[in-house]
Amino acid sequence: MADYFFELLTEEIPAWMHDAAMATLRERLGKLASELGSDANGVTVSTTPRRIVFLLKNLRLREEDREQEVKGPPKKAAFDASNQPTQALHGFLKKQNATLDDVIDSGDAYVMIRKKVTGRETSAVLQERIPELIEGIRWPKMMRWGNGEHSYIRPIHSVVSILEGEHLPIAIFGTQSGVQTVGHRTLSQRKPFNVASYNDYVTKLELSRVIVDPLRRREVMVHRARALANEIEGIPSADGSIWAQWQYLTEYPGLVRAEFRRDYLALPEEVLVTVMRVHQKQLPIRDRHDRLTNYFLAVLDNDGDPDGNAAYGNSFVTNARFADAQFFYETDRRRKLEERLEQLSHLQFQEKLGNYLDKTKRIEQIAKGIADDPDAALAAHLCKTDLVTEMVKEFTDLQGQVGGIYAREEGLPENVWQAIYDHYQPVSLGDALPRNIAGAAVSLADRIDTLAGFFSVGAKPTGSKDPFGLRRAAQGVVQILLNRDKREIRIGIDKLIDLGIEAYAGNTGNTGNANVKDDLLAFFAERVRTILEASQVWKFAYDEIAAAMEAGWASSLTDLVDRINAVKAVRDEASFLSVLDSAKRIANITEGHAETEPDAALFEHDAEKSLLAALGSLKLNDAIAARDYRGALASFASLAPALETFFKDVMVNVEDEAVRRNRMSLLRKVGGAVRQIADVTKIVVDRRDYRA
Amino acid sequence: MSRVTFQSLILKLQNFWAERGCIIETPLDLEVGAGTMHPATFLRVLGPEPWKVGYVQPSRRPADGRYGDNPFRLGKHYQFQVILKPSPLEVQDLYLDSLRALGLDLTRHDIRFEEDNWESPTLGAWGVGWQILLDGMEITQFTYFQQAGGIDLAPMSAEITYGLERLTMFLARQSSVFDIDWTPGVPYGAVRKQDEYEFSKYYFEQADVDMHWKLFEMYEGESRRCLDAKLVLPAYDWTLKCSHVFNTLDARGAVSVTERVGVIKRVRELAVRCAEQYLEARRELGFPLLQATSPG
Repeated sequence: MADYFFELLTEEIPAWMHDAAMATLRERLGKLASELGSDANGVTVSTTPRRIVFLLKNLRLREEDREQEVKGPPKKAAFDASNQPTQALHGFLKKQNATLDDVIDSGDAYVMIRKKVTGRETSAVLQERIPELIEGIRWPKMMRWGNGEHSYIRPIHSVVSILEGEHLPIAIFGTQSGVQTVGHRTLSQRKPFNVASYNDYVTKLELSRVIVDPLRRREVMVHRARALANEIEGIPSADGSIWAQWQYLTEYPGLVRAEFRRDYLALPEEVLVTVMRVHQKQLPIRDRHDRLTNYFLAVLDNDGDPDGNAAYGNSFVTNARFADAQFFYETDRRRKLEERLEQLSHLQFQEKLGNYLDKTKRIEQIAKGIADDPDAALAAHLCKTDLVTEMVKEFTDLQGQVGGIYAREEGLPENVWQAIYDHYQPVSLGDALPRNIAGAAVSLADRIDTLAGFFSVGAKPTGSKDPFGLRRAAQGVVQILLNRDKREIRIGIDKLIDLGIEAYAGNTGNTGNANVKDDLLAFFAERVRTILEASQVWKFAYDEIAAAMEAGWASSLTDLVDRINAVKAVRDEASFLSVLDSAKRIANITEGHAETEPDAALFEHDAEKSLLAALGSLKLNDAIAARDYRGALASFASLAPALETFFKDVMVNVEDEAVRRNRMSLLRKVGGAVRQIADVTKIVVDRRDYRA
Repeated sequence: MSRVTFQSLILKLQNFWAERGCIIETPLDLEVGAGTMHPATFLRVLGPEPWKVGYVQPSRRPADGRYGDNPFRLGKHYQFQVILKPSPLEVQDLYLDSLRALGLDLTRHDIRFEEDNWESPTLGAWGVGWQILLDGMEITQFTYFQQAGGIDLAPMSAEITYGLERLTMFLARQSSVFDIDWTPGVPYGAVRKQDEYEFSKYYFEQADVDMHWKLFEMYEGESRRCLDAKLVLPAYDWTLKCSHVFNTLDARGAVSVTERVGVIKRVRELAVRCAEQYLEARRELGFPLLQATSPG
């Protein structure tokens, strides 16, 4: 058993890229480790801002020997008339380093050999695979350096490669490996030192002021954050995202507590928090009542701040940013949001789709179609006005929130300011939805306007490219419409798309692209499917979703969810097999049949009459109308005996066309009842699972 | 540390980089928004010739003017610009040494390199790099140039841009840029406050919009004429004049959103042609700096 240890020393890798890079590495190294007789548990990956480090434990010293089958020439060419090997076969065997004894019966027209392949030394495998693996990481943004031959996240400085205590020579982009590395940039000597193993490396680096494990760096900072906040009787704000950044911004973690001028606390909290978190990567400290204090924490690549330099510097920049923010805030408040509407006409939305005043008018019209609500109407009217405030020009990620805050300060009703504040929500899958119906209506209107507009000018997302965030816009629509608490809005996506398209009627930019609706429906169907499949709350299976969507989805998403739930609930019941078999049989027999009402006068068998009667007595349609889909599916299952008799006694494909068509119509009627809920034939069953 | 002045910082940086083999250039005698636009950067990063240079560049950004009222913002500030081509592997250490040369004991400060990429649509240029934070404050922009004038670069240049006022303010612990000493006894404000006020007043309120649009057309025309006459350096001067006139019009609020894209594109077209022609001209000259003995 052997351990392999690797370090790549580079330059500061952007903090947001580390997690994904480590996940990729872990996965690929796990695969390599298992090929070499270890497994994913034997893999340790760490990064610091400028290092990528991994350890592979318990590797075999060489690959296992294995057998390999290779297909050769056609048998006709390999053996002559007297069944002796030809030159062609000898040539093949020679090339494969095999003998006639290795030839096996392939059972087809070709020669096949099975030969023994001797496993390679692990060192050779690592020498081949590690450079491939490291060089092959696809970073989100690559660069070239020096003479410009190579492209990677940052320039490569040195490589450590050690197998079982010995240097294993490899090269990464031409940089030859060794057994030396260096410590912290500013807190240790610049002189390189030797390392013998992973443990030796971790220890020596710690002495050279580098903590290799990102989670340990994080723990140190979490602990220190609490202590520093506690000294002023405060608590660090809860904020997972800042820790995920901080742990990759420092090799030797430390924190400093700094403060800003107290009078800036009069600024809106959202502004203060955004400046600190997003622009300065600082963490606000709150008091025991969860109120913001004028203290905050900042990360250091140094375990202390002996002269107060970092406290001074961080206070300095944060005060400067707040001075700007205060200036913007005071300037902005001299004009009401209503007075800013005209200015929106100078702000372009999209080249062919007009400016933000045009967009505002469309949002108002669509919002009215979604909810006839005066609060939604006012919110729609004002929702974009903050785009021309100084505050949003400077802090663009506060769009919506700033408008909401200013609306609140102008004394507009709570429903209105909250709707403006929330209308960009939800931003992501886990994000909160707008707090009230007005907010949901404006958010929907804004999104469908953007979608209908961009689709009409042919700016659809393709592949991984979605520069206008249209997938996210559609995803937000789906999230809002799936919601079923008091904020529920009862509109189907089909109706919403119509409203969006209508809003562009008469717009000069409208190209009249006739496929907009179909394209949008297909686009939304994909989003609906993805979101439902990803839901950890419902845990729907893909076939349940597909089955229910086949019966329609665009008129109501909450109804779709009810139907999926019904399918999910009954699929494991013993009677479900009969539902499925009946549906499949009906679908096969009636394929291509245009539906008509069955005519009882044409019935020849009792089985036909009793099937129709049984169907009538079920009141399936009543159950469906009451949205009791589970009950409907259960009662459909109870038709099984009547259907069984029908199929036993009645021949559908008879000569007499009227009789034949009538029988098909009867079956269609039966099958159609369940098809309003779901196309159950799409459900994949493993019959062994059913115990009757 | 002895008293830090604006001037001492400039002198120390010049000495530091001169000792490391850089040519110490003088500022470009035209209005530019950043040291990057100096031909010693924008043109010299093109092609195979090695280049090491350092210089101060007064950088005019009309829209950033605050009439001398804001303690942090200036319509004109001074950058110290360094270009190292090809970028040496130890460039970050060299940079840290320059801070040590300014008297900083880096074990008692926090220095971090945080991702900050750079892109100039007017120059058709972009690069990858960091903002360098000293105790949480951005004091330097560090960029590995990848493209200039739409041309993929090789070898690659490292660009280090120090913000001189900010750095002095911080080292001297002054809370207003106007209070730092240019030299002992002469505050920065005494030297510069009048032009901050007058140029803010001019760019925001007085600049003649019609005249500037005319100038833009004329400069653009002259730049093209020079390009056609294979005089790339004069052509580039006129390109820079276009850029400054555009910045003036922008500060004056005379450029609409739609126009903006179009005007930037016009300047970029000039910059791209300049870059192509400069490269061609150097090739015709046999890339003289390839033969020159490497300094330092």
